[in-house]
Amino acid sequence: MDRLSRRNFLKMMGMTGATLAASSGLNPFLMRALAQDPTQISFGGWGGVAEDEGVQAAIEIFMAENPNIAVEWRHIPDAGEFGRVLLTDIAAGTAPDAAFILSDQYETLRANGALLDITDLIESDPLLGQSDYFIQPQESFRCADNEGRWHGIGSTWVAHHIYYNAELFEEAGITPPGFQDDEIWDWDTFIEVCKALTVDANGFHPDDAEFDSDNIQQFAVDWPLWWQPIGSAVYSNGGQLFTDDGLCGLDSPEAMEAMQRLSDLIYVHHVAPRGATLTDLGMTNTQMVDNGRLAMAVDGSWALSWMNPSLMTVGMGTGALPMMAQPAAVMQAHFHSVLASTENPQEAWEWVRFLATPFYQEHFAKIGLWIPNQTSMLTEVGLEGWITEGIHPSNYSQFATDYLPAHGQAVRLPNGWVEAQNDYIAPAFEALAAGEPAADIFPDAVAAANDVLRSYQ
Amino acid sequence: MTNQTYKRKRSPVNGLFEWYNNLSLERRRTIMGYIFIMPFILGFLLWWLAPALVAGYLSFHRWNLISPPRFIGFDNFERLFSDPLIVTSLKATFIYTVTSVPLGLVFAFFLAVLINTKIRGIAIFRTIYYLPTIVPFVASAILWAWILNTEFGLLNAGLRSLGFAKVAWLQEPGWTMTSFIIMSMWAVGGPMIIFLAGLQGIPDVYYEAADIDGAGHWDKLWRITLPLMSPIIFFNLVIGLIGAAQEFVRAYLITGGGPQNSTLFLVLYIYRTAFQSQRMGYAAVLSWVLFIILMILSYLVFRYLGSRVYYENPGE
Repeated sequence: MDRLSRRNFLKMMGMTGATLAASSGLNPFLMRALAQDPTQISFGGWGGVAEDEGVQAAIEIFMAENPNIAVEWRHIPDAGEFGRVLLTDIAAGTAPDAAFILSDQYETLRANGALLDITDLIESDPLLGQSDYFIQPQESFRCADNEGRWHGIGSTWVAHHIYYNAELFEEAGITPPGFQDDEIWDWDTFIEVCKALTVDANGFHPDDAEFDSDNIQQFAVDWPLWWQPIGSAVYSNGGQLFTDDGLCGLDSPEAMEAMQRLSDLIYVHHVAPRGATLTDLGMTNTQMVDNGRLAMAVDGSWALSWMNPSLMTVGMGTGALPMMAQPAAVMQAHFHSVLASTENPQEAWEWVRFLATPFYQEHFAKIGLWIPNQTSMLTEVGLEGWITEGIHPSNYSQFATDYLPAHGQAVRLPNGWVEAQNDYIAPAFEALAAGEPAADIFPDAVAAANDVLRSYQ
Repeated sequence: MTNQTYKRKRSPVNGLFEWYNNLSLERRRTIMGYIFIMPFILGFLLWWLAPALVAGYLSFHRWNLISPPRFIGFDNFERLFSDPLIVTSLKATFIYTVTSVPLGLVFAFFLAVLINTKIRGIAIFRTIYYLPTIVPFVASAILWAWILNTEFGLLNAGLRSLGFAKVAWLQEPGWTMTSFIIMSMWAVGGPMIIFLAGLQGIPDVYYEAADIDGAGHWDKLWRITLPLMSPIIFFNLVIGLIGAAQEFVRAYLITGGGPQNSTLFLVLYIYRTAFQSQRMGYAAVLSWVLFIILMILSYLVFRYLGSRVYYENPGE
């Protein structure tokens, strides 16, 4: 046999590689590129298994409808981690063409020119450009800046409401809350209901002289003490999470009174567990509701994807948050944006536009994760597309159709909020959760936070 | 084969070898030495010097990772003197370091003495005591979050069974530092193994001589073991101080710096400032603060404790 020369060896290796690639089936994306040469765009985002699958399904549909565009999904499970990776990607010049944008990063990225202005594209779009396409004025408030320019579209809406154990209410002979105006409790009624639903190990209630607050067997409510559920109480009491000039408003008398009332649920009325969340008790609020140790859990609407009738062993229902001066629930959600650095703005826009059409939202609304921000999904026909038996309690559509459009409070998290919150507001919430009076904590904390916010303006 | 053919086939690698072989022995040794230390040199340049220089540059800039860095003179340094959280984070880091390191050393030394005994199955005990060190940090952090859970945690269950009140280990700012010090004791396997190696390196003849002289256990510990172990204790002390001053993972995973910033260690504050608050310039200044503190700390330790270390062969 002749000696194998270097040239012949390389020829053989090349032919072998080509044969292997052809026989094993090339990457579908590469095949498509070879066949049609589509424009490739990257899309960054986060989410658990359900969100990951939802985005992948959406990409499949989108690419079938738009064979000239190929979307590459850059997925990171944790939202906070994604936010940090996005920043470093921007710094490195490797940002995706389009991305999920955290609600607390949106204003910062917008202020620094990292997001593409899509106002003209929305206005000229026959579908999204309709004045009643989105729930208004909330959608414009969160998406547009002071000049009315949009740099992203809200992915959905999420807001807090009550999840309750229906069997505990039935046993106590109490009518649970609903979403219609006449079904929303005022604060005094809420406290009375909470006292009736709180039971210590000996069967006593908080107003009984023998009540043992260190040995509570069944709590009435868990109201988490972080900015969104706190903000709902603050707006309900006539206060503001953020003032009109983009500063923190938690030092107003109304805001501090609302926060004190939440703290009083734990330390004065003894109807709520101590600690920021029930995870401090070793169980999630879902488990506590399910095993009867908690009558009501205040949680975000996204929790319906795991705290729903088909997954709970007890009868459960949903209702609006109790009101102080007026009904209110803070609405928010992440955004879909085109990054300003993209070399394919039109293709990236087509993708972001697709995400704002009913198909994509329905996928997540059906599993209880999202509430639509599109009016077409709130009509009788539209509701049929996503309200799902076994996931959504019978009155749940009223939360989306009646309660949120009327009482939902959209917020715009100002540039610098992450720092202001991390350094001053979150520790103040922790002090509130530890029982310190709101009036002692918030004036100083808000002053410091506002110094931070001003430095970004 | 003609000379011409030979030249055409000579590869650059062959040329390099030819050049190398023609060098003097001394030069060849020098080059080989540099090749051997190259991994460290490259690591030092890429992962230490370059970032340090960039940090120096960023210290005079405001950079939020999105827009280009903007020169702001000494603003980041001025901020250092008006930032209340730098005091909070330095205090947390200082308390943790000066408490956890000595306690950890004593505990590691105690365990090393225990597992240095010659009993049947001692290898199993050594493995058991070292196991926590090889548990991934994230796993041990989650485990500790459960152990320290106020209502259902193992530690409080033990306290309650002894008649004590439950402690909010990770919720009460007054208890969080204690919790982190307890957690730091969990990972003393590293220094313990080094202590064990040191203990086994002490020749038996010293103890035999001490026995003949009638020395007790305590005398042998103070007059033989500790002096001969002093270089190792010193090494573990320096490494422990540097490690404790850089505490990050547990705080990041379990408390996020809370409650009420009670576990806002300096490195966590640097991370938060850089990647959440997006103040890379100020984070660079904070990194220099940490570096300077560690330099001073190391200098003080070498200056005041280094002279007390006993070296058997100081010239080597």
